[in-house]
Amino acid sequence: MDVHWAYAFCMDLVWVFMVAAGSLTAFLTGRAQAMTSSVLDGVAQAIGVGIGLAGMFSLWMGVERLAEESGLVDMLSRYARPVLKILFPHLRPSGNALSSAAGSVLSNVLGLSSATPLGLKAMSEIEEELGQGSRGVDSMSTLVILNAAGFCLFPSTIIALRAASGSRVPALIAGPCAAAGLAATLGGLIAYRALKKLER
Amino acid sequence: MEVLTGIGPYLFPAVLLAVPIYAYRRGVPVYETFLKGAGEGLRLAAETLPYLVAVFAAVSCVRGSGALDYLSSALAWLLKPLGIPADVVPLIVIRPVSGSAALAVTGEILRAHGPDSPVGILASILQGATDTTFFVVTIYFSRVKTRNSRRALLACLVGDAFGFLAGYILWRAMAG
Repeated sequence: MDVHWAYAFCMDLVWVFMVAAGSLTAFLTGRAQAMTSSVLDGVAQAIGVGIGLAGMFSLWMGVERLAEESGLVDMLSRYARPVLKILFPHLRPSGNALSSAAGSVLSNVLGLSSATPLGLKAMSEIEEELGQGSRGVDSMSTLVILNAAGFCLFPSTIIALRAASGSRVPALIAGPCAAAGLAATLGGLIAYRALKKLER
Repeated sequence: MEVLTGIGPYLFPAVLLAVPIYAYRRGVPVYETFLKGAGEGLRLAAETLPYLVAVFAAVSCVRGSGALDYLSSALAWLLKPLGIPADVVPLIVIRPVSGSAALAVTGEILRAHGPDSPVGILASILQGATDTTFFVVTIYFSRVKTRNSRRALLACLVGDAFGFLAGYILWRAMAG
């Protein structure tokens, strides 16, 4: 199954539906003027929010670079390994694959953008170590589930967006986001086990 | 609940305290390295701009024309008893599909309702409850020869549902 196709199709459908449904409603209810000014106002504000985001993105990625180049991320991912060993029982405890997986999951937890490159590296290394059999697929799927749920202690992007939108308490949502992310992670891992049992 | 919502504001100063000092002590050229990363951040923000415009335009269409009001009255039988605002329905649909689009939808909700309003806080939590499932599954499995990604995708979508549900329950708990 080509997931990318589904992704593009879904976005096309949603966007066309929203624009068409809005315009059609405007025609039918005589609110064309209201819609026009709402859209013009909206796109102007889109740029405003983008400018606000730029400041925070810039600051955060600067700090992130410092964390990477000082070796802070590597050091912390060594501490994350014992937990990762439980999640990836088939991987060699001192292998490259487990170390990249740890780095990727940790980057996610800290809201760093290095999560994706490290995760991709880990995928290749898992396949190299375990092959394409059931143990390999299980380990790859576990990594994908962890990163797709994106459990995060510091949701830097949302905090930036909230700050750019003029929030008085931009970081208020960090705790609830972490708790919800944990639920998504556990839900995904449990669902994977259940699906595997069902297919047997 | 106070622990969950109280910890957030301290994270930022904690990071700004720990990271630069650690980097300085490890002999990293702090200022120069920061500037390099900051440049990347600016590029990232510039790449987000088209998504913001596309989504703000589409959401403004359904909001300004009144279509969103019709949608919410059509779905009222479902949303009312649960107490889910209609504004977050597009966000729940788009969140697993496109990260930048979801961020833009959240941005539009924060603009229309205010970031600290109940709807704004719910949108923020749902945005952070999970990552972009379709993107992660696609990109990650594109790196390996295994095409056996169906079970992982299904599991991730179940996980998304758990995340949204947990986020919603926490939001209700915050509102008291």
